[in-house]
Amino acid sequence: MNKELYAFITGKHHHIWRKDYCGPDAAAWKKAGLTPRERMADRFVKLCEQEDPCLLPGQKLAFIRTVKNLPDVLTEEEWTDIRAKHHIHELGYLSNLSPDYATVMGTGLLKAKETADPCTAKEIDALIGLAARYREAALKAGDTAMADVLAHVPAYGARTFREALQMLRILHWSVWAEGEYHNTLGRFDLYMKPYFERDIQAGTLTREEAYELICDFFLDCNIDSDLYPGIQQGDNGQSMMLGGIDKDGNSVYSDLSVLCLRASGEIRLIDPKINLRVSKDTPLEVFKEGSRLTAAGLGFPQYSNDDIVIPGLEKLGYAHEDAVNYAVAACWEFIIPRTGADIANIGALSFPKVIDKAFKKITFCETMEDFWAEVEAVIKAELDEMTAAIGDVWFIPAPFMDLLADSEDISRGGRYNNFGFHGTGVACAADALAAVEKYLFTEKLRTAEEYLAAVENDYREDTELLSLLRNRAPKMGQNTGAPEKWAKKLLHTFASLLEGRKNCRGGCYRAGTGTAMYYLWHSDELGASPDGRRKGEPLGTNYSASLFSKLDGPVSIVDSFTSPDLTETVNGGPLTLEFQQKMFDAPDGVDKVAHLVRYFIRKGGHQLQLNAVSRDTLLDAQEHPEKYPHLIVRVWGWSAYFVELDKCYQDQVLRRQEYVL
Amino acid sequence: MTNVIFHTGVIFDIKEFALHDGPGVRTTVFFKGCPLRCVWCHNPEGLSPKLQLMTKESSCKKCGSCAVSCSHEECQPFGRCIYACPDALISVCGREMTCDELFDRLMKDAGFLRESEGGITFSGGEPLMQPEFLAKMLDRLREADIHTAIETCGYARPEIFREIAGKTDLVIMDLKLADEELHRKYTGVSNRWILENAAWLKESGKAHIFRTPLIPGITDTEENLAAIKAIIGDSEHELLPYNELAGAKYPMLGETYRYDQMKGSVL
Repeated sequence: MNKELYAFITGKHHHIWRKDYCGPDAAAWKKAGLTPRERMADRFVKLCEQEDPCLLPGQKLAFIRTVKNLPDVLTEEEWTDIRAKHHIHELGYLSNLSPDYATVMGTGLLKAKETADPCTAKEIDALIGLAARYREAALKAGDTAMADVLAHVPAYGARTFREALQMLRILHWSVWAEGEYHNTLGRFDLYMKPYFERDIQAGTLTREEAYELICDFFLDCNIDSDLYPGIQQGDNGQSMMLGGIDKDGNSVYSDLSVLCLRASGEIRLIDPKINLRVSKDTPLEVFKEGSRLTAAGLGFPQYSNDDIVIPGLEKLGYAHEDAVNYAVAACWEFIIPRTGADIANIGALSFPKVIDKAFKKITFCETMEDFWAEVEAVIKAELDEMTAAIGDVWFIPAPFMDLLADSEDISRGGRYNNFGFHGTGVACAADALAAVEKYLFTEKLRTAEEYLAAVENDYREDTELLSLLRNRAPKMGQNTGAPEKWAKKLLHTFASLLEGRKNCRGGCYRAGTGTAMYYLWHSDELGASPDGRRKGEPLGTNYSASLFSKLDGPVSIVDSFTSPDLTETVNGGPLTLEFQQKMFDAPDGVDKVAHLVRYFIRKGGHQLQLNAVSRDTLLDAQEHPEKYPHLIVRVWGWSAYFVELDKCYQDQVLRRQEYVL
Repeated sequence: MTNVIFHTGVIFDIKEFALHDGPGVRTTVFFKGCPLRCVWCHNPEGLSPKLQLMTKESSCKKCGSCAVSCSHEECQPFGRCIYACPDALISVCGREMTCDELFDRLMKDAGFLRESEGGITFSGGEPLMQPEFLAKMLDRLREADIHTAIETCGYARPEIFREIAGKTDLVIMDLKLADEELHRKYTGVSNRWILENAAWLKESGKAHIFRTPLIPGITDTEENLAAIKAIIGDSEHELLPYNELAGAKYPMLGETYRYDQMKGSVL
């Protein structure tokens, strides 16, 4: 890696070049009578014009952001009006898409412009103009190699690996500059492979040079990321998918993938967020390479299982050639590059809330079947409410993003317009159902009235039940079979009650096991739960065991969490396993983790995240943040600098460490 | 022998994915009860063969709720109610398991353990303190074609040691102190059986590893390490670094960590 560039970026020295946007704002555009699409184009053009071409030390791929903020394209008043008529998702700008960089990378922007609409064409011109100014800057700096690259891309199609990377950098920069966010990088080792192999075979690129270029590109992903919107710093959605299969079923994983995994491990920064597609047939060596990256402590790679995800997507109606091409959105939601205009995180079903509501009627239930019927009814009612609340979704148009999609106006939808719901706290709910079945209906240790009163009083008056539930009751992750039975039913019910529902864009709804930020939000609005979780205690992140469960270790956890049919929950949401950092110091620690990951995949898990952490380090970092500016932790579907997180997220990461394996 | 009941054993933990207890990925079973009282022991809950109360001391508000007398049968040995804590901080350390129960539990991981060329390790406490139960478990696992290992302090009657060694695939044995007097001083027992068993093991042809925990000022002295080297000859020898957090569990059992107090005098 280029150490000088690394030091420059992590030292944030480029921040001195940053300046405020200066130009027309929403009021001016409104006055001029511009449509939202025209405003987006105008804003992009103005931004490009104001950008100062700046080159970082030793940088081989140009383009950074110097204009740090963009004005909204709509006025407050216009937003109020639009919100009254439409469902506005998050910020109203497109997000969480996997743009198709490959096509334009091959043809160049001038060719793409021939069929582009006037707004997109304007943006192309502005971008080519900016690239020309970067070329001048490169010449001035004496960097003729970079100038040569910029003489060709982005106007014309890339011919070499370096040109392709430069093109990718510019296209990715552009969607952020246009105003879309959580812009992912998609299947990097698939679309870069032709350039890589051609250059290597031609002898014009060595493996080492390719590695250095990849490192540069990865470093570049960290230059402007603090300007990108997210819930917390780090939640910027620059995910990258490696491995998997191509449309003909051939393995994509290659030497290029290996270089990417190694580059990520050497750079140790939070972007890009590495994902790896594997299957039951993936060689153990691939898992070992992945585990070496896990040992670096970034929370990468996140694994997803082709054997589960592809059939799961097909069940939802994705065509085979699209299903095999899946990538991930910002965190873990499976999306299709180019053709997917899904909104993968449009809402969340809180399973603990479902149990909470159903449990209020426990005194009317004579059998466990009665109680389960209540639970089913609540799930249905929640889903009815959630789906009814999403009417007529509208996004601000995105002329540049249209270039990278197969839609004339991707803001209005693409080939796939499915909406995804997270499912939070499955373990908490499954544990609760198992506890109710065991202690109320089977062993009859409490009457329904007593159990209900205990939960409503936060167990203050019934410490015996509390102790039983927390210290002895079967829990998800122990693989005793009881909670697993209910987890299966909960997830199956979630998925099947969404089946057949059409969303406002004609798409379907997808069930998932992720939590995103909901794991904190949902626990805040809940009282105690029937599994012994007390009021105010957080839920586990994603598809994970309750935080207070006593577990024997990862083998039981994997067995437990792979027992449901996860092809039904391909909105995604990983099982998270945390390991002590020092475990990787064991001579064959990496190999053993590789075996465990493969076991998870072979058992039918859909997605897996592994963290290597040291609790002592985290505690010290809370005390002395200045000592740990680059300490990275996995939060939910993304990694972040620990010291930059709000305390509630830091605490949750710490709580998880109390149960590390 | 403390536990003469044939078909049940007392264990205090099962830990999956143990990486330091033999080849491959292993599940380690911790037997409760140990004849030694090493001052540096980091598993104090493994010392007594009886069930014990564990309290999460750091969160305990000392409210006294647990001091009530109750009618739960399981609470009677403790003189405290394990269910009375308003924060559920009290749990029982140790559980009796039948051979069948433990076997079935361990076999759940069998597929994975075989795949990674790992197996099951019996540790403790001291597994040889429950020899009949251990022998039965080892026989059953051998029938099931699962690789086994034991981690032992070597303090057992030689005939028991040899019988168990014959039933397992790998013996991992501690050699802490070569000098008998020092051994008595820091572990509470003579090392005569241990040295006899070590001498036999070395020549037995059984796969084995000797281990010495490096306890500052006690076992890590030049004389001791040289003497141990002389005893074991060419056998594989691992030196285990001292764990700074070794004393962490003592407060949970309401006990004090003697090594902390001794440190001043030995270092």
